[in-house]
Amino acid sequence: MGNDATRRRIVVARKPKGPITRIDATTYSLNIDASDRTTLNALLDQLRDVLMHDSSSDIARRLFPAAYHQDEKHEQEYQRLMRDELLSSRLASLSLTSTLLERETTGDNVVLTADELDALMRSINSLRLVLGTLLDVGEDEFEADLDEDDPGYGQYQLYSYLGWLLDWVVTVQTEFN
Amino acid sequence: MPIHQLSNTDVRPIEVVDPGTDSAPDTDRPWIVLVWNDPINLMSYVTLVLQKLFGYSLEKATELMLDVHNKGRAVVSSGTREHAEFDVYRLHEHGLWATMQREDA
Repeated sequence: MGNDATRRRIVVARKPKGPITRIDATTYSLNIDASDRTTLNALLDQLRDVLMHDSSSDIARRLFPAAYHQDEKHEQEYQRLMRDELLSSRLASLSLTSTLLERETTGDNVVLTADELDALMRSINSLRLVLGTLLDVGEDEFEADLDEDDPGYGQYQLYSYLGWLLDWVVTVQTEFN
Repeated sequence: MPIHQLSNTDVRPIEVVDPGTDSAPDTDRPWIVLVWNDPINLMSYVTLVLQKLFGYSLEKATELMLDVHNKGRAVVSSGTREHAEFDVYRLHEHGLWATMQREDA
């Protein structure tokens, strides 16, 4: 499993607040600047486009894993019944996340319900799965070898940013448990 | 079968293979749901998903997550086929690499 967010989290943890804070038991505040929200929305649009027009493509394979990896007959039946439902669920999550990122804000704060936070979490994770597949991310740390001249440098930075943001989404849900 | 043919029916006993009782019938074995290690999903994320979907304590979810990370996989639930399919679907919704199979398959 990846733990690439850990190092960045240690640095960020020194700050008084992360990009997401808990307001009360069912409400959260997302605080990322407008340019980051625009970038996230553009990525969500791209992912939505892939899912709607080419969900069987290789880069989307991690979003539709096999359920019966030892039984082809059952697997075909499962996919026949469940794949469209999973696709619809993913699209609904992306749509809800896009909507909340476009919401009118007070400063850079977007107020989220628990369901919206869950949609944001699943959407960020879907983006990481696709980007990680595209970058062929392995178990080894990759940041140490990162070169700014590397053609994939921007994508690695993006992948790292999504990991950092996802880790905060997780943290804000667990710190009061 | 028409009644007039009943008198011609062969009613002699035949040999059958005794299925025995050493092992439970295939349909009695529960299904297990496995989560597999992958290099993309964050450890913290996997732990939270296991807590949210199955109601596991932080300790239990962390233990399962570490099994996934260190051993390559962990059994996260078991039950009927329908229940296992439901769990697999929810794990897939959250981007985890989950599969199901018969126990001891």
